[in-house]
Amino acid sequence: MHSPVEQFTIKTLFAFQLLGFDIAFTNSALFMVLAVVLSTALLVYAMRPAAMVPGRLQNVAEMMFEFVADMVRSNVGSEGRRFFPFIFSVFIFVLFTNMLGLIPYSYTVTSQIVVTFAMAAFIFIGVTLVGLFKHGFHFFSFFVPSGAPKVLIPFLVVIEVISYFVRPVSLSVRLFANMLAGHTMLKVFAGLAVMLTSAGGVFMGISVLPLLAIIGLTGLEILVAGLQAYVFTILTCMYLNDALHLH
Amino acid sequence: MSVKQIITSMSALALVSPSIAVAAGGESSGGLPQLDLATWPNQLLWLLVTFTILYILMSRVVTPRINAVIEDRAEKISGDLAKAREADENAKAMQTQYEQALADARADASDKAREATQAANAKAAASEAELAKKLAKKIATAETKLAGMRDDALANLNDVATEAAQDAVKQLIGMKATKAEVSKHVKAAAKAANA
Repeated sequence: MHSPVEQFTIKTLFAFQLLGFDIAFTNSALFMVLAVVLSTALLVYAMRPAAMVPGRLQNVAEMMFEFVADMVRSNVGSEGRRFFPFIFSVFIFVLFTNMLGLIPYSYTVTSQIVVTFAMAAFIFIGVTLVGLFKHGFHFFSFFVPSGAPKVLIPFLVVIEVISYFVRPVSLSVRLFANMLAGHTMLKVFAGLAVMLTSAGGVFMGISVLPLLAIIGLTGLEILVAGLQAYVFTILTCMYLNDALHLH
Repeated sequence: MSVKQIITSMSALALVSPSIAVAAGGESSGGLPQLDLATWPNQLLWLLVTFTILYILMSRVVTPRINAVIEDRAEKISGDLAKAREADENAKAMQTQYEQALADARADASDKAREATQAANAKAAASEAELAKKLAKKIATAETKLAGMRDDALANLNDVATEAAQDAVKQLIGMKATKAEVSKHVKAAAKAANA
């Protein structure tokens, strides 16, 4: 019997070496590529009619677009337009990798802390650079809360700086932990069902219960997959807004 | 798989904490695969490659297409709305124009009717007055004529009475009364009778 966390193991599908670097094509890489190919194919195919009155599939594509566009508009404002393609890409990437991961025997790319942290760190550094380029030295006023008593300012600055640098950690751990917990839970219940069935007799009948739990959990995980893509994207928008407009 | 094993594996949920993870990583198969540092460079490489491709596809191909369609639609809708507004305004202008024309025609018609009535009234009054004048003239002539005739008749009556009185006097007393004398008496009698 496998461990419930064995599903997260990286397996090499095709081994490659380039100039001494390991560039093996793994299960993780396969699902990253699938997410890119499927999302692009879906969106391009859906928008092919470019109809004035959209059909069902075109409506799906437009709704995804409008969903992220509204998020950027309401959280970042008109200055966010330049970053819209990036934020849309982030949303699509997280959404598709999360959703693909729910297909049995597939792999959840976002269940790897290194992946989520790399994305969060890229966003964190990018957003900080945007703030520095826009406001210059004035950007550091972001860490000084306005209207606070002068005596408290040193402490508040420390707290603000810590909370600022915790951002990439919380952003990445939130997504990673949600995926890890959800998939582990599914596997635990699945393992329980198998164990009860193999025990035979009365236990075989009881094994229906974990199976029912898996059905409910799968629905929940679909919700979580969408929700976490949304949360990751909206936090990106908020961080960007802070960098552009300080506060 | 024993219940104890399941409980142990469920605790993997809590393995976000690095200290537990390191401890678990020490075992042969129980550790979180996420914390296997050897797989990180490979994952980072493929993330960089795939996400860069995705970003290029989204920014160059997908979002411009969706944006073009949505903007075309918004333009068409606002254009159609403007057209509808214009048509509505035209219709309203036409209605006011029509109402104005109707009111003008009504006023014109009532003016004309009033004028015609006044003219007819004046004409009727004039012809009535003329007729009255004519009739009055006729009445006057007839009255004068009648008066003349009556005077004549009265004069004749006096003559006849005088002659009759002369004859009566002659017959009664055998005396001849002069015409002038008798006539004086007759006239006095006539006057007394008339009085």
